[in-house]
Amino acid sequence: MRAVLKYTALTLFSIPWVLVPIWLVVVNSFKPSGEAAELGLGLPRTWAIAENYGIVLDRGGYLTGLLNSLKVTVPIVVAVVLLGAAAAWAFGRSRSRWLQAAYFVMGLSILLPPSIIPTVYLLRALSLDGGSLGYVLTMTGCRLGIVIFLATGFVRAFPPDLENAAAIDGASRPQVFVRILLPLLRPVLFVGGVILIINVWNDFFFALFLLQGSANATLPLSLFQFASGTLQSLNWNLVFAHVLLTTLPLVAVYIVAQKRVLAGLTEGALKG
Amino acid sequence: MVMRTRAAWLPWALPAIVLVTVFFLAPFLLNVRFAFSSWTSFRAEITWNGLENVRTLIDQDLLANAVTVTVLYAILCMAIQNTVSLSLALALQRTSGINTVFRSAFFLPTLISPLAAGYIWRGLLAPDGAVNSFLGIEWAWLGEPSTALVVVAFIDAWKWSGLITLVYIAGLNSIPKSLLESATVDGAGPWTRFRRVVFPMLAPALTFNVAVTLVGALSAYDVIAATTGGGPGDHTRALNVVMRQQWGQGFFGSASALGFTVTLLVIATAVPLVWWLRRREVTG
Repeated sequence: MRAVLKYTALTLFSIPWVLVPIWLVVVNSFKPSGEAAELGLGLPRTWAIAENYGIVLDRGGYLTGLLNSLKVTVPIVVAVVLLGAAAAWAFGRSRSRWLQAAYFVMGLSILLPPSIIPTVYLLRALSLDGGSLGYVLTMTGCRLGIVIFLATGFVRAFPPDLENAAAIDGASRPQVFVRILLPLLRPVLFVGGVILIINVWNDFFFALFLLQGSANATLPLSLFQFASGTLQSLNWNLVFAHVLLTTLPLVAVYIVAQKRVLAGLTEGALKG
Repeated sequence: MVMRTRAAWLPWALPAIVLVTVFFLAPFLLNVRFAFSSWTSFRAEITWNGLENVRTLIDQDLLANAVTVTVLYAILCMAIQNTVSLSLALALQRTSGINTVFRSAFFLPTLISPLAAGYIWRGLLAPDGAVNSFLGIEWAWLGEPSTALVVVAFIDAWKWSGLITLVYIAGLNSIPKSLLESATVDGAGPWTRFRRVVFPMLAPALTFNVAVTLVGALSAYDVIAATTGGGPGDHTRALNVVMRQQWGQGFFGSASALGFTVTLLVIATAVPLVWWLRRREVTG
């Protein structure tokens, strides 16, 4: 009886919390502009799927945005995960005071907000402003901390016996890293990596300051430019079509990874 | 063995150290200088000017309001997010088929970008939108000074609640069952068990979530940009919103001062909070 009550409550809660927002986006992205302006939840009286999505793909800069988003997300995630794992190995095993001090700075970078204005200044000084390379380097530098922090805790929880045995057997350091460390860290790197993908894919704030011109715009930037392009009243059908197309790649990633993400997170891969 | 020496470990950490130093630490230190410097698009030369930026921002009535809005926003966000997430976590703690479906569903908003979340709720909460027609009222949730900030904070909380729920579930599952059982044997009811056992044992997850949500919300920008743009009037004009405006107008020094204010707020709220929650964690 209590279980019935609980799941009824959860279902009732999930309607406004999850279903209605998603339904609003989907159904209104199928309506012509005037009908979508009513922001109703009913089915379209006239369907305008092809037109809406055609406009978003064509004028909304969606394809450029998609390519640009991929172009920055992939290198950032790969760099953060690999460099973070390598650094976590060093921080977890070394007793050098210098490295422990460096580890403390990594910890600070998690807590403190990134300073965006001086970053623009710095990238300009390095002739990296406006383009995707400067953005990739900045995001990597600002996101490494959290992965290092989580993975270092993981490394420390394991005794180094396995690594030492492999080294005695003649394995080189890179071999030990690839064959022992990376598999060992896989749960935490996987969860960290997925959170990072969500975070980078959806980043708007850094992109707004660091990426110049629509040729470099990632999906959130192109959504914002597209939505702000029409002053005052939004073209809701087009905005929602863009929102749907922007979110779909992540939903795809999530569907593939959800079992391990949920399991990883709820079993405390992020404990600390 | 050789693997313990500093020289042997340094190369493994070096790329990460360099990237964090150049792209996080250096801008962070530069900000301390720029915040107190005259630097505009009209005069590229950067010169020390003490508290001039701060004074200008105060004279323009921008700073005090932005700080108030930002702090209120962060507190609202943290409160809404943690209340919803902890309740969901308590309901979905056990790993079972049906719970996994619900966990998955409640995680979905986390996949949506904060910007998109802003547009979605702006649509739902429009004066003639679905929420109002369900409630049978006509209220400009984002246009009225009394509700705008709460609603914007709610949207931010909505976006992150799925992730925070999972961290709470992890915390709940790390509580030893024996502890709960012995509490039950000692005659503790569900509420006493929650207050005396579960809640204190949740301290690590609580520390993490409260700190993360507060710190994150102090840097609020995306949701506000997509919904109110800082309005009505200046009721949702958080520090980062003013920073972007100052930057856009070419007042780079003032923008840095606003960014630095966010940093100070983060230090002022997060450090004592983590310290206090950690201490509670130890004393139980």
